[in-house]
Amino acid sequence: MKTRTVELIASPKEPHFVGDGFRVHNFIPSGYRLDMQRVNPFILLDYNSPYKFPPSSQPKGVGVHPHRGFETVTIAYKGKVEHHDSSGGGGVIGEGDVQWMTAASGVLHKEYHEREWSKSGGEFQMVQLWVNLPAKYKMSPPKYQAIKNKTIPRHVLEDNAGQIEVIAGAYKDVKGVASTFTPLHMMNAKLNKGGKADFEFPAHYNTVLLVLEGSIVINGSEKMPTNHLALMANDGENFTIEAGEDAVVLVLSGAPIDEPIAAHGPFVMNSKEELMEAFNDFNNGKFGYLED
Amino acid sequence: MKHTTFKTFLTSNLMIEEKEIISILENCKVKQVKKDEFLLRKNEHCSHTFFVEKGLLRQYSIDNKGKEHVLSFAPENWFVTDRESSYFNQPSVYFIQALEDSQVVFLDESFIQMLSNKVPNFTDFNNRLLHNHIRHLQNRINHLLSTNAEDRYLQFVKMYPDILLRVPQTMVASYLGITPESLSRVRKELAKKNFKG
Repeated sequence: MKTRTVELIASPKEPHFVGDGFRVHNFIPSGYRLDMQRVNPFILLDYNSPYKFPPSSQPKGVGVHPHRGFETVTIAYKGKVEHHDSSGGGGVIGEGDVQWMTAASGVLHKEYHEREWSKSGGEFQMVQLWVNLPAKYKMSPPKYQAIKNKTIPRHVLEDNAGQIEVIAGAYKDVKGVASTFTPLHMMNAKLNKGGKADFEFPAHYNTVLLVLEGSIVINGSEKMPTNHLALMANDGENFTIEAGEDAVVLVLSGAPIDEPIAAHGPFVMNSKEELMEAFNDFNNGKFGYLED
Repeated sequence: MKHTTFKTFLTSNLMIEEKEIISILENCKVKQVKKDEFLLRKNEHCSHTFFVEKGLLRQYSIDNKGKEHVLSFAPENWFVTDRESSYFNQPSVYFIQALEDSQVVFLDESFIQMLSNKVPNFTDFNNRLLHNHIRHLQNRINHLLSTNAEDRYLQFVKMYPDILLRVPQTMVASYLGITPESLSRVRKELAKKNFKG
């Protein structure tokens, strides 16, 4: 077994607003080495670092928009999000919860700060991920996995180092709750100061770490501050992280999907023709209808 | 919807050497325009034709009741200008505004003149562009006079497949000459017909 080294540590870009409710640093897809193909199956990562929203009687968020060809995963760390979609589905993603939406053949949805939460306002912290689907599942029926925080399995680390919340895939003997279309791991490492955790994923799995709280040291030498993202090289299986102070780290590792990517706006397909079809289907109501 | 530079646009449509185009292009400016920024305001003189390399512009007027009317959207690869102002030297009645952060090529009259002089088939090409533009305007007038909201909408999405996802629905409704409520109704009815979810 070889050590997986750090390929790149990316600092957070200037935040921008998605709608008026999400103030995010975009890490993927962006510029140098963080394009869709390099980090695939993780084709988008937007991070809303902690941000205080003032009280608002009109919930802030993003209006009706479509998706096709991938899954969206929302991990709520602070704050609450309410969502609705064109098939009549909807729900509230509370603190610590994860919502895994398989858009696949297509959904229209909208997402806003939860009404009551919006009235009082407060600190909001969230990760939005897009996970690509292989060609054979891109047009499968949409579905949801609403994962409540208390149902997320945990591996408690030795020596009071902290714990690993396994959302998908596995950490040692603990398996995550979310079902995935391709092999991938998604987990929150919640480490106490000085706490250490070791990870092992196949070398060809594309792997990134996002530090949400505190700071960490990777493989005993690479320091990584809050709000930074590490792209790990594909040169080994094992790496360790150690918390310089109490830390929360999102760990993602997945088997690359070896297919062409054609992406534009909210659609991620394999070819330009399929993209055009997505726009046509959306324009012609094939995604359904949802009131703004 | 794809980022196309003006250079690529010209070389793929004109008989011209790469080297030559580079020296010609030194005579026009490429500018970064921020979302909401104006490239033309009412009563100003429009001295440029704008070519959109990246982003999205809209041309619109405001009537005496203060209501906006969208004449056109100009996404990637489109030209937009006020010809009455630029060619016939009248003060403009239009606004041209960026709806997204955009990269825009500013072409003035002397630049167009230079292209005509230096590039043999530019005049033919420019004629084709003009005819195409006139055809588009004819169709637009005809649709506004003779078709219902749904037909106008279907025509619109055929020409502008991704605009609905880039601008507020009120602007699309304004372009179509219908109320936002009518646009919602059209989209709802299409969904009823075509959604098999």
